[in-house]
Formats: sequence, structure tokens, C-alpha cells
Amino acid sequence: QTHTVTGTVTAREDGSTIPGASVTIKGTTTGTQTGVDGKYTINAPEGATLQFTFLGYDPQTVVVNKNIINVVLTLNSKQLGEVVVTGLGISKAKKTIGYAQTTVKNEEINRSASINPVGGLQGKVAGVNISNVSGTSGGSTKVILRGYTSLGSSNQPLYVIDGVPLTNARSGSSDNFDFGNGANDIDPNLIDNISFLKGSAASAIYGSRGSNGVVIITTKKGKSGKPTVDFSSGTTLTDVAFVYKPQETFGQGWDAHFILSENGNWGPKYDGQLRPWGAIVDNTQLLKPFSFIKNNVRDTYDKGIELNNNITVSGGSDASTYLMSYNNIYSDGILPGNVDGFRRNNFSLRGTTTYKNFSADASLNYVAKNGNFVSTGQGPTGVGTTFYENILQIPGDIPIKDLRDYKNKYFNVDNYYTPFAENPYYNLYENGSKFKSDRVYGNINLNYKITPWFTVQLQQSADVANSGARIWYNSNTPKPGSWVGGANPEGQSRKPDVGSVEEDNFQTYEYDTKLQGLFVKKFNSDFDINGVIGANYNDRGARTLSTAIEGLAIPGFFQLSNSVNKPSSAEAESHRRLLGFYAQGTLGYRDYLYLTLTGRNDITSTLATGNNSYFYPAANVSYILSQALDLRNSAVSYVKLRGSYGETGSDTDPYNISNILTATNVGLGFGNLAFPFRGVPGFSISNTLLTNNLKPERVKEFELGAEIRFLNDRLGLDATVYQRTRQDQILAVPIAPGTGYTSELVNFGSVRNRGIEIAVNATPVKTPNVSWDISYTFTKNQSIVTSLPDGLDKLILNQDGYGGYMVAIKGQPLGILQAPVPQYDPQGHIVVDSQGYPITAAENGSYGNFQHDFVMGLNNTIKVKNFVLGFTLEWDKGGKFYSGTADLFNFVGADPKTTYNDRNPFVVPNSVQAVTDAAGNTTYVENTTPITEANVDDYYYTTSNKAQAWSRDILDRSFIKLREVTLNYVLPKTLANKIGAQRATIGLYGRNLITWLPAGNKVVDPEVSNYGTDLASEYGEFRTAPPLRYYGASVKVTF
Amino acid sequence: KINDINVNPNNPAIDKATAQVLFPSAVLSTAGNVGGELDIIGGIWSQYWTQSPAANQFKTIDSYNLQRQDFNGTYNGLFSGALADYQLAITKAKEAGQFPFYLMATVMKAYTYEILVDLYDKVPYTEAFQGAANLQPKFDDGYTIYKGLLAEIDAALATNYNVALVDADAKADFLFSGDMDNWRKFANTLKLKMYLRMINAHPAEAEAGVRALYAAQADFLDTDARVNVFTDATDQRNPVYAYTVFNLGGLDLRASKTFTTWLTENNDPRIVEYFGTETPTAIDQGYYNAPQSAQPGYYTATAPNFGPTDPVYFLTTAESYFLQAEAAARYNVGSASSLFEAGVQAAFDQYELTPPTGEAYQYPNGTLEDNIRAIIYQKWASYPNSHTIEGFFDQERTGYPEISKVYSLDIKYVPGTWVYSKNGVTGGKFPKRLVYPDSERTRNSNTPPEVPITTPVWWGKQ
Repeated sequence: QTHTVTGTVTAREDGSTIPGASVTIKGTTTGTQTGVDGKYTINAPEGATLQFTFLGYDPQTVVVNKNIINVVLTLNSKQLGEVVVTGLGISKAKKTIGYAQTTVKNEEINRSASINPVGGLQGKVAGVNISNVSGTSGGSTKVILRGYTSLGSSNQPLYVIDGVPLTNARSGSSDNFDFGNGANDIDPNLIDNISFLKGSAASAIYGSRGSNGVVIITTKKGKSGKPTVDFSSGTTLTDVAFVYKPQETFGQGWDAHFILSENGNWGPKYDGQLRPWGAIVDNTQLLKPFSFIKNNVRDTYDKGIELNNNITVSGGSDASTYLMSYNNIYSDGILPGNVDGFRRNNFSLRGTTTYKNFSADASLNYVAKNGNFVSTGQGPTGVGTTFYENILQIPGDIPIKDLRDYKNKYFNVDNYYTPFAENPYYNLYENGSKFKSDRVYGNINLNYKITPWFTVQLQQSADVANSGARIWYNSNTPKPGSWVGGANPEGQSRKPDVGSVEEDNFQTYEYDTKLQGLFVKKFNSDFDINGVIGANYNDRGARTLSTAIEGLAIPGFFQLSNSVNKPSSAEAESHRRLLGFYAQGTLGYRDYLYLTLTGRNDITSTLATGNNSYFYPAANVSYILSQALDLRNSAVSYVKLRGSYGETGSDTDPYNISNILTATNVGLGFGNLAFPFRGVPGFSISNTLLTNNLKPERVKEFELGAEIRFLNDRLGLDATVYQRTRQDQILAVPIAPGTGYTSELVNFGSVRNRGIEIAVNATPVKTPNVSWDISYTFTKNQSIVTSLPDGLDKLILNQDGYGGYMVAIKGQPLGILQAPVPQYDPQGHIVVDSQGYPITAAENGSYGNFQHDFVMGLNNTIKVKNFVLGFTLEWDKGGKFYSGTADLFNFVGADPKTTYNDRNPFVVPNSVQAVTDAAGNTTYVENTTPITEANVDDYYYTTSNKAQAWSRDILDRSFIKLREVTLNYVLPKTLANKIGAQRATIGLYGRNLITWLPAGNKVVDPEVSNYGTDLASEYGEFRTAPPLRYYGASVKVTF
Repeated sequence: KINDINVNPNNPAIDKATAQVLFPSAVLSTAGNVGGELDIIGGIWSQYWTQSPAANQFKTIDSYNLQRQDFNGTYNGLFSGALADYQLAITKAKEAGQFPFYLMATVMKAYTYEILVDLYDKVPYTEAFQGAANLQPKFDDGYTIYKGLLAEIDAALATNYNVALVDADAKADFLFSGDMDNWRKFANTLKLKMYLRMINAHPAEAEAGVRALYAAQADFLDTDARVNVFTDATDQRNPVYAYTVFNLGGLDLRASKTFTTWLTENNDPRIVEYFGTETPTAIDQGYYNAPQSAQPGYYTATAPNFGPTDPVYFLTTAESYFLQAEAAARYNVGSASSLFEAGVQAAFDQYELTPPTGEAYQYPNGTLEDNIRAIIYQKWASYPNSHTIEGFFDQERTGYPEISKVYSLDIKYVPGTWVYSKNGVTGGKFPKRLVYPDSERTRNSNTPPEVPITTPVWWGKQ
């Protein structure tokens, strides 16, 4: 009896399929090999012995006694046998690829119960920069691979899940509300592994979407066998990781006087004496000592909690598998009360089946999330104010916690202590936002094996999301004659807040179709080939509708109908298509030399015919020196050399090639005039000049690398150098307003990144009971602007509202922070005016750039019997950022820098005054005009000492963080079995536990930003929320 | 084809533009700038208002410390917003034979351009608005541009513009609701204003131009050229109100002692219109850093009386009469004294008030200099709260109000005379112009070299 035996060969370590494994009938020359899906078919007589071999794995033999034989091979050499997922979801032996690729596994991702896929990977992967820009759970995570190259388009990597693209849109009406990014919707518990394709050779197969690297996420599949139940639960406490440290010497007041109604720390020195404070209400006033309150700001925040629970049921027969999973995230943020919370439910289904030469798998995921977020930054003027801005304006002697009772007669709208700011708790409880999103994504994947070496695959995916946000500000009017209404010592009254309601709807869709043929064949003992050819059609778009009212008719009722004004509404939709044809082939020689060639041609809908079809080539070589020279018995256990070149690109957004009119909105500087007026519509020529000559941006990247292991893999080094150049960048550059336009969308110039990525792995201790693994990463990337359009000496990438900005300048590092500087005389003295204040130079000066000198990570794992201790440190050195928090912090005299000279009168150090004689000649004489005591405060305002304000607001970006500490205990099998489990682990963990900042920065964690998650965010922050610290415990049980 | 879908569903293509949608848009762009940012600069530099010590926003204006990055909205907004749209409206109106819109857009273009010329001296004109065809338009000198604009107005006046508009089109005219006689009067008055502005630089041309107007029996505005469409609703408010009060909380601008002393000395009842009270508390110009102990009154100083529904005036009836009065005084083309009286009357009619009878309100019938001085003082007192920039221009052109030798805290201070800002950074010299913004200087190599902010523009009094 002869069987037609079929089955799948998988790796024991991670369950991944092994393509290209040999299957032979022992004692004969009959044989075949597994296809790209790891599956094989062979005709063998009953009782024959099948031998399964694959380089780097222990061979295995199985006696034929049934039709389906699945085999699990065990690794014998990690480097030779490792299989990774490359582009398009194709598994490949890692040794064959000629570029750097880092893969992290489920265990690493979930060790500290992060609620998003990359939250637990900070500091662990060379060349991958992951930061939490938001101080709220549910907020966005910024992921940048190998630095920034795009000045005007996106620098976000492409996220691919199980072979299909995933929308990573960030929804929010403005950067002040961070409702999270799309990639964060994935349940990390369900991820089997994440691969980072950093370079263009790796991502060329993604063509015009691969130019910023690709993050490939592979989710878990069910395994054949009896049902398995995985349960994991993490309970995480959060608190504020870092808050600014104010000076402790001077208290409430202004101009060196104690003034009851001031929002600054410009008063006299603290004397500890009891003084009245706040408003006089009903002829009474509160009393408190005039002294600094320690931890005043930190105590404003509570502890938050984050619960992360997952249950996954999986199993299957030999032919089919299934997996069902439910993940629940519940979090309550660090602000008191119910104002910041985030909830997410993920439901996932996954199934696979095989029938003869046909196999299919499908996944379906539903993500429901909702949350409340607190506005950061600056409130909409005239409408309302924000918590973080108001917190900053509370003098150090006023107990913030007491203000929490914001309806109390001393702290309410009428009687808050100052007319210049509002009670921050009013902001928390009367203003707010709500976000809700429903998302479905999944794919169907059909495979048919035509011959043992050729498989046809059809994959269809969908990713559809519908989300809505509501943002509201309550209205209030300080009563005339009340403290805030004018009856304070300064006679100032605060303008009413008119309040507003905004209702946003945001829809995205993405459909991706892929038809490809995969082949794998060994020609003779010397050559083998492994390749793919296919076509890809992608259709995606978005639709937003936003309606808002300003001016509430009935305070406290937040509905679009509740206004004295007409609602204003805006809608926008975008739709784009991309058709790509691609091919990739890897030719292997004697299992140690591999050449891969890739080509992709994309046709995009966003560019004009003639400019919209373009080709991206790539090539890479991998040479396993240790295999070629057979170094098996030396101290060197593995040497791989690799080199690659690749091109990728990016098209432009839809509708960027022909000129348009816009419904007129006249910007006033502060405020707008928006049509229609008196029932008359108005349209204006759009201020951005468009052209149909646009072509796609192009990225060209070289990469060289080596992987070397010694002493049976106990010590390893993986090093990569690369150069990535992005040219023909598409960006709206300013043009002379005299043209009738203010900017023009053009292709121009380039940015060149050069970098080095080093990963060192060592296992100093390895005994059956004790082991210690160290991994160290070092990343240095430098981005240089190599050209700009003619005549454009700099391009503004982001700016604050006061006159500072981040720019690209030709020949200089990308992202130079420029801001007002003092005027200097030829000898380098600061020139001051007749009042003794520095004069602002005509042109902004440079304060450095945002780029880090280097980023280092140190990751340790120590196993002692069943205990595993891990910790990760990250050191980001160098770079500058702008802090809007520092700006206000100086304005109100809270920054320790403002205590210079004990606030006594001083002459600006090293300053001169200009003297112009009758003939118009200017000479400089030593300045003797002091800044008087009453004017010392002006010295620290942006407006009155513009020349020097940014020297206090632009801060050192360096930090060292203890990113993660984890301690896990794996229950002994006997103990686990007692509770009916196969495996059980309990763990303690912490993330972002300690932050060390350099001496020059006592103000804000440089990682946070409310300028988004792309290049603009590198400018810094504007009065945003503090970062979080996490610590908790988890339980993982497999039944 | 795959790119069939690349048609913008969110915005109309530029070839769908008509004069009817462009013109009102451009008019409000002019109004938003003239009645917004320029009203603030004009109001501070004409010494109606000054910066409050309790806030910071306009310290750079009040200390004459403007750099390339400051207050560029007007330059960008007037070129790419107002003027580009007037230009396209003119082209479209000509093509479609819509001569009323052709005249309306031409007059507003000239009005708007004149302000840019008067602020910046030289700006692109002959090569402007060509988009990609000319990314670096050359700069024309102010006189060339004036002549060009006057010719453009004449060309538009020479068409068959005086036809009735359909209701919808009349509604799109925020100034005169389609009354083309008023547009002709506005055109003539604007020409008169431009000729008079040339009296220092080109006295012969100025005189010839004025005489030609009178020879052709030109009629002048007897109604206000103003935009009166603002309501107290979102993004529909009067620009200077929206800017300084609604959005900035009304903390910055305060009454300047320069202006309040003049109003008080003359018992001018408009003080209530301008400041909401008969007895405003004022701040000495530019003294925003006075210690509170020394000047406690500064902290309770009176704010300008802006309202959300106030109109923005481009050229008032009073200004029209004062221009005619000046023409009469200079060239004897009419009765200067009766035109002066009509101007004073119109200025008070604007607020339904009766003019006081003091000397300042009487035509002096003295030397030309005396007469001009009287006229310009009355103009100065009539510009707030919406087109204050004209007060600044008039002073630069005529020297009135005079510059005070002492600061307004000095006992010898004469009410109404301009004082050098307490915190001025220009060494005692008053600002006479604005500096080109970064956007033009960095992207257009034809931008003229930077000159000090205190250098007069081409028509300025040396």
C-alpha cells in the first residue's frame, strides 16, 4: 500500500513553518522538499521511513503509517536554522537574507504587559526608536526606523500584519488630543513575533510604501492537538514619571511685590508667615503660610491603573486549526476623577485548513475602543483653557490640591485667586473629550500547491474603521464685581469663556489584494532557488466630517444644537489606489552564498499619467563564511557577511496635482473670518500652488553588515552600516507671496542618513540552573540635508507660536532649532537697549539640532532556576528640543533659573550699549544700566526679552531611562499540573521606572510631545502632559 | 485608468472660479487685514492705544522692534489672499463682460495695493500673481505702482460698468450693494487720496492729477465705503475685536495718553465711542514696563471700545470731505472751509454726535500749513477704531500731529502731540514702514535690501 503523505514541517522554537526542508525516503533517492508554506507531499509505501532534514536542524525520521505526517524539527544551530518572516509574509531562512533584520518574540513583547505591540520594546532593537509621546494610556506611540528622511511626507513605517497592510492612521481633531494611532489597536498578547525591516533592500518589495521601513507582525495560529487555553492577566499601576521642579525661594506676586491675584512666582521670598490668600469672599479670606509646598504638582496626580486580560483558546486536528481570543484593556489615568480613561476590547478569530494540495487560512479581528482624554497645550482662545497650562500658572505656595474643590466659593469661576488663569480642576471636570472607535480587520488567504515546488496564493484583506470624537469646553462668565470679575487688587477681569462643542467622525478603509506564485526548488547539490512573483492592488481612503459650535447657549449642555451661533462644518475625503507588480528571487549556492534580486513596479492614482508608474529595484547578498570555510570546530561558530542595495519611494497624497479654490477663511493672526457672510459665499485661490509634474519621492539605500558568533554562540556581534538618501522629496515650500501664493508643492532636494547599528549578545553564564544573557545595542544615525530648492536657504519644519522654529538647512544636520538670539557687537558682547535689555538680532540663530548623538540600550536576562530577572536601560545622548512648558515656567518665575542673582538688580553679563555719533558711526560702550528689581521678571518673558528666551526654552534632549524591569517565576511543572495547567508564570514588572535628565533640564521629559508622532514632533512640546511610569504584576497560565 | 479617482471631491477646481465668489472673499481679506492686524499696528503707531503692562502681545510693535518674522500676516494675506483673488476676479469679470465686477475688483485692488505700497515702499506689481510662471517677481517702486493703479482704475471707469446687478450679485457687494454710482465716487476719492499722497515726492504730478479730477467734474464719496457684515458669531466678528478681545482676552490694548489728552482737552464727545467712558484712564505711550508702584493707574487703564459688530471702514465720508478740503486748501479747487466743516460734521454724524465748537473744529483760514494741520488733526481724530493705519500714513506725509519734544509724563507735554515710545529701540526715530517678511526675502532674490524701519517711504515727508 502506498500513501500519498502530506504534512507540514515546523520549527520547535517558534512554531514557524520551514520552507525548503528536504524530505527523502530513507534508503532511496526519492525525495522532495517543503514548499514556501513548509508543506510537502510525497508518495511513500507503508512502513517506509521518511527522513526530514534542514540545515541547522537535527534530522528526524518518521515511519509512514498514515497520510498526514506533520514534523517538528529542533534547532541545532541557531544562526543556520533561524527562520524569519520577510516581506509579503514569506518565511525564509534568516541566513539567506543579505540585510539586517531583527525579530522579537511574543515573550519579549509581553513581558511587561504593555497594551500596545511595541510598548515593551523600547531600547531593545538597534535602529528602531520607540517613544511614548503621550502621557496617557491609549495615546500614540512613535516608531521611527533609522531616523527621519522625509521632510514633508510621512516618516511612519508601514505596518503589515499576517502579510497585509494595516492602517496606522492617527485620529484626533488636533495634536492637543491624542486618541492613539492605528497600530496600537493590535492585541500584543496575540502577536507571535514582530520583524523590523529597517532598510530599503528589505522593504523594496513594498515599493512605494516601504520607504520608511516595515514592521511585520505575525500573529499566533492554533496548533493541532487538543484544545489549549492561554490566560494572561496583567495589573499595572501608573503614576507620573517626571514633573518639573520649581524654584523654592520666591512666592506669589509680580514685580517683586506680593500680589494676591497674581499667577506668578515673582513675589517676595518665602518667609513662612501666615498670610491671607485668594479672593476676599463675603468679607473673609483664607490663610496659609507663605512657604513653598513640596511636591505640589506631583501630588496633583493620582495613581492610575491599567488592566490587561487575555484569554485565547486554540487547537485543531492534523488538517485544520483554530484560535479564538479575547483581550480586554481597562485603564484609568493619573488625573483625579473619571476624566482620563481608556477601554479596549479585541476579539480575534483565526483558522487554517488543509485539504490535499489546497490550504486556506483566515483571520477576523474586531477592535472596539473608547476613552476620555484631557486636552494638552493651549486651549482655543476665547473658548476655554487647559489643565496643563493652568497648573503651570499656580504659584508654588498655593496648595493645588485644595483647588480640587473647584465649586467651593473661594475657588470657583468668580473667586479663583487670579483673573489671569483658571482653576485647572474646572478644566478637568467641565471640559473634556470622548473618543470611540470600531474597527474590523482581517484577511483570507488561499493557497494551492500546483507542484511540490510551486504554490499559488491569493490573499484578500480588509481593514475598516469608524471612529468618532466629541470635544467640549464649558462656558463661564466671571460675575462683574467678583474677584475674577475685576474686584482684585489689580482691577483686572477675566474674559468669559464662550465654550464649544465639536463632533468629529473619522472613517478609514483599506482593501488589499495580492495574487502571487511562490516557488522553491533545489536544482542539484549546488544550487537552489526560492522566489515569488505577484501582483498587488491596494485601495484605501478616509473620510472625515467635523462639526463644531462655539458659544454655548445653556452652560454645561454639550450638544451641537446648544449654541447662539451656527455650527461650522467641514468634510474631507480622500481615496487612492496603488497597483504593483513584483518579483523576487533568491539563488542559493551550496547553502552558504545567496543572492536575492527584487523588483517592483508601482502605478499610483495620486500622480499624473506619465509620472505615476515607477520601478524599484533591490539586490542583496548573504555569504555564510563559517559554512563556506567550515569553521565548525573553531572558536568562531558563525560568520555571515551581507550587503545590499535597495530603492523604495513614496507617492504623494491624493489631489495634489491640480489647483483648487477653497472656501474662504481669512486668518486674522488670532481668529478667523469664515464665509459665508450675510448669506454670501466666498471662495479664494488656494494658497498652495500645485503642479501635475510631481513625481514620486525616491529612497536609495546601501547597507553592509556582518554577523559573527564565537564560542558556540556565547558571544555574538551584529553590525550594520547604512546610507539612506531620500531625494525628489515632495513638499510645500514657501514661495514669495508676490506670486499670489504662499507655498508651492514641489519635488526637491534630498536628505541623507548615515548610520551604524550594533548589537552585541553575550551569555557570560550558562549552566543548567543559572544563565545570564546580555544584549547591548548601539545606534547612531545622522541625517543631513543635502539639498533644498534653489534660493530656499531654509525650510521650516515646525514652529512655536513665538518665533522659534525647527528648520532644514542645506548642508546641515536635519532639524536645526533656530530662534531669536541677542545682537552681538564685533567683540561678542551682548548689545542691550537703553533699558538694559538685550536687543534681538535681525535673524534667528541656531540652538543645535534635535538628533541624538547616539542611542544605547542594555538588556539583561538572568535566569536562576525558575526565576527570570530582566532589565533594560536606554541612554539617548545629545540633541535639543523646544519646551513650551519651559516658556511658561520661566514666565511665571517658577524655573530655578529665574532666581539668578537672588533676583537683585543686575547688569546683563558681558553687555554693551551702542552709541551712534553725529556722523552715523556706531561704537559700543560698556553697559551699566541694570535690570531693576521690579523688572527682573521681564528678563524672563519671551516678549520682553525675546533675545534670550529660547536659551531657557531649548533644552538638552539627553536622557537615561530604566525602561523595563521584569521578574518572572515559572511554576515548576509539577506545581502547574496541580492546578490543571501545563505551564504557569507569575511576574512582576515595571516600565519607565526611573528617568535621569541632564542638569540643564529640570522641566520636561524630552520624549513627550504634542506635535504628533512624525518629524514635527522632534521640535519638542507645548505644555503637554507628563509621561507615565508603570509597574505591576501578571499571571500567565496555559491549560 | 487608475488615476481617474484623483479628482478633488473636497474643493472646486480653480477654473470654476467666478468674480461673484472671488470678490466678496477678497473684500473680507482686505477688511480682515486693514481692520485687524494693521488696525493694531496703526492704532499703536498713531498713538490711539498702547500696550498694557499687564500683558505682552504687542510690545514689539509699541517698541518699534519689528523683525522679519513679526506681523507678516498682512503681507502674506493681502498678496495671496486679497490681491490674488481681486486679480483673478478682474480677469474673470473681463472675460465674462461683467463690467460692474471689473470696476469693483479694480477699485478694491487699488485700495489694497496702495496700503501695501505705503507700508513697504516697493512691492511686486508688474510681475506679480503669475504663480509658477514667475516665482521671483521683481519689485516695482511705489510711484510706478501708483501710476499703474491709477491707470487701472481709469480703464475700469471707461467701461460700461453702470448697469444694474441682479440681486444675488448686488448682495456680493458688501460695500454698496451694487450701487455703481458709489463705486465711481469711491474710485474718484481713492484717486484723490493717492494724488495727495504724492505731494512730497511728485508735487507737480499730484497737482495735475487733482486738477484733472476736478476738471472732469469727478464726484466724491458722500457715503462710507465700509464693510458692515459682522455679527457676534463664530468667525463672523469684527476683525480687531476678534483678534484682540475675543481671542486675546482684551488684555493688551489700552488708551494712550497721547490721544485721550487731546480728546479731553477738546471736550470731544467721541471719547465715549472710542473708549466707552468720558474719563478714560490712559497709559503713556510705550511705558508698558512701568513698575506698578510708580504707575498704579496703568493697571486699570481703559481698553479701546471695540465691538463684535463694528463695521470696518475703508474710506469714510469724513475722510472724503477732508481729502477734498485738503485739495481745496492746496489748489483752490473748492471751498476748503466748508469742506472742512462738512468733514467734521460727517465724522460726528458717524456716531450720531454733535461736534464741539472749540478751535480745533474750526477751519483756521490761516497759512496753508495751519489749514493742513487743522485738517490732519481732524482726520487723525476720526480714524479709530477701524482704519487707524491712515493716521500713521497722514503723519508720515504731513508731519501732523507734531512730534513732542518731551514725554507725556512731562508737565510741558502738549496734548495730542506724538511722543517717542518709552521703550522705543530706534534711538528716538519714529517707525515709517514695515520690514519685508522672511517669506519674501528668502524666496525672492529681487527683494530690495533691508532699510531701517525708520526710513520714510517714497512719499514720506523728509
